[in-house]
Amino acid sequence: MANLAVDLKEKSTSKTKINLQVSKAFKIWISALTIAFLIGGYFIVERFITGLAATNLSSITPWGAWIAFYIFFVGLSAGSFLLSTLIYVFGMEEYERVGKAALFTAIVCMIVALTFVLMDLGRPERMLNAIIYWNVTSPLAWEVHFYLVYIGLLAVELYIAMREDLVRAAKTNTMKGFVAKLITFKNATINAATKKRDHMWMKILGTIGIPLAILGVHGGTGTIFAVVKARPAWHTALFPIIFVVSAMVSGTALLLAMYIIKKKVQKQPIDQGMVVSLAKLMVGFLIIDLGLQFYEYLIGWYGLETEHLDTLATMMASEKAWSFWIVQMFLGAVIPITIVFWKKTSQNVNALLAAAVLIVIGIIGVRFNIVLPPLVVPVFHELPWGNYAPTIKEWMVSVGVVAMGLLIYSFGELLLPIEETSDEVSHNGK
Amino acid sequence: MGLFSNEKKVDYDKIVDKMVPDARKEMDESQYDTELGLNMARDARKVISGKLKIEDFHKVYSSSLTKEFGNYYASADGPDIRKGDGPKWAMVIDLKKCVGCDTCTVSCKAENRTPPGISYNVVMESLEGEFPNIKAVNLPRPCMQCDKPACAQVCPTRATYKMENGIVAIDNDRCIGCRYCIVACPYGARSFDFGDSYEQEMQGANDVTSPEYGVERGNREKGKTPIGTVRKCSFCFHRLQRGEEPACVETCIGDARFFGDISDPNSVVSKLAASPRAFRLKEELGTHPNVIYLR
Repeated sequence: MANLAVDLKEKSTSKTKINLQVSKAFKIWISALTIAFLIGGYFIVERFITGLAATNLSSITPWGAWIAFYIFFVGLSAGSFLLSTLIYVFGMEEYERVGKAALFTAIVCMIVALTFVLMDLGRPERMLNAIIYWNVTSPLAWEVHFYLVYIGLLAVELYIAMREDLVRAAKTNTMKGFVAKLITFKNATINAATKKRDHMWMKILGTIGIPLAILGVHGGTGTIFAVVKARPAWHTALFPIIFVVSAMVSGTALLLAMYIIKKKVQKQPIDQGMVVSLAKLMVGFLIIDLGLQFYEYLIGWYGLETEHLDTLATMMASEKAWSFWIVQMFLGAVIPITIVFWKKTSQNVNALLAAAVLIVIGIIGVRFNIVLPPLVVPVFHELPWGNYAPTIKEWMVSVGVVAMGLLIYSFGELLLPIEETSDEVSHNGK
Repeated sequence: MGLFSNEKKVDYDKIVDKMVPDARKEMDESQYDTELGLNMARDARKVISGKLKIEDFHKVYSSSLTKEFGNYYASADGPDIRKGDGPKWAMVIDLKKCVGCDTCTVSCKAENRTPPGISYNVVMESLEGEFPNIKAVNLPRPCMQCDKPACAQVCPTRATYKMENGIVAIDNDRCIGCRYCIVACPYGARSFDFGDSYEQEMQGANDVTSPEYGVERGNREKGKTPIGTVRKCSFCFHRLQRGEEPACVETCIGDARFFGDISDPNSVVSKLAASPRAFRLKEELGTHPNVIYLR
């Protein structure tokens, strides 16, 4: 796989004389990802052979790291999609540069999320049962359907967003042009009528996508947890809303980080105004998220219900409380908010990049703290307490799945016109 | 064998006919209509053999029955066909009788041959009060077989569902092992089969599995159902099919467990369930368990 980019290059140059420019940094990046994917792949295969015995899960704590990563990536996906709708539906053109990247990120994150679910199933070969024997009272079954519809909608929307670039690229003799020829019609053209049509469809699909992403995909994922009356810490109506808001936080942060990193690696100019404004948006979402969480914990604590108090204690005052105080609160909230509001750092692209990365890491902490504490506390006080920490195998499988997602993204960006070049911004997606 | 035997063939049907009293004579002696009785008996046999629908049977006889029995004939407004006319199983556990010996747990493990880490039944022990005014409370916990099961509500594949006899069943051949039901069960009554085995401690531990839900699965093998799926107490459904009580009820040394048909108002469980001592676990969650405790 490490040689794939090179192979492709050789093959294409020898046969169709398509020149593919792959930078050195890209080669190193792909090689590193491939190594990570192969190492993770070994553990993925092992997990399929040994079953869930490879994990530290138990019947007391039946969900663990993989479910936390699953909701993390669903959040990233819904967040980046909603950001793209700000551009294509609400006409916030200042974020235009990340529009297509946002859509493609949303697709890749969904693929990664569903792969994590697949890893987590005790009987992965039966996954289609959730569609064949759909139980209409099960939020999880609804989610599976929503995810598939959502991925389809994202793919169509991305295609329309890229269409003009594809048509333009199809005339060139690059690798992108070769791919573009494969996925466009021969007589595809760009004129005023198609521009209008594409723009209309972007708006329609984006508008359908908003309720789908908010209510279906992410609110729905929160509902999976919120309907569980056996776990008081999840069983609140605020829960799905917190899910959506934290999705917006992580999605914005991820896109911001990716934009800055990519531009830095490619040594291209960074649109500082957009970065600053996107960072403000990100922190705005974060503050709303913190406010909602505050009420969630306050009301849970005030209720004095033993199980709820135990859950809060597990999260905030147990030996694993570092993931709440240090990862979720300090790294994921205090530092980024300080960076964005402090005069000395608020205009500094590097500092804002750090803030975005920290928020993404912080949201991973949020996801673990959502899934695990209510499952550590047993449903009866007399039953044994859960004691879960992911095994090295679980971590390696996670590394493999994430590497897979990054590989898909990298190759997608190599082969599709996802990046916005500066001259296109002015006339696209108005 | 029959080829070489000289014995005359015995017509057992005739013997039975001789033993059974003459229906016409019996009916003539009673105060009720002879013809009606005989016709009903004839058609009832048709209903049993499936030649006649029970609805039609009721339609035919409804008016004459009303004439004959008047107010005693209860179902004047049509046949009362309940779905699942059979028993609805329930269990009563008398906490005053439970000594906390864990025999139920052990016999359950033996009967259902559950692997390490899975116990369909546990006894939750706790101490209440301050020394010396202290009391031990033993709370045995099988599956509650709820009427409104949270597990069946959330199962994405309908692999777990409520049977007509009141038991919440798991179709281990459909279960995808997502463990949502384990998360959703307020009683912690469900376990995931990670594939562990007692083979290390006991030779031949994998040779036999319990015929849960009446399904014979042979030996326990890596990757074979029910490994990778969710398991729980089924009120020993396979024993009920043979007319036996669940293993925990049968082996309870203090006779603290009662088992029976809660839809029959005269059954022991129905009477005990009406006791002022009766309560259910986590009633406030609206799951309506079919395991009733006596405090």
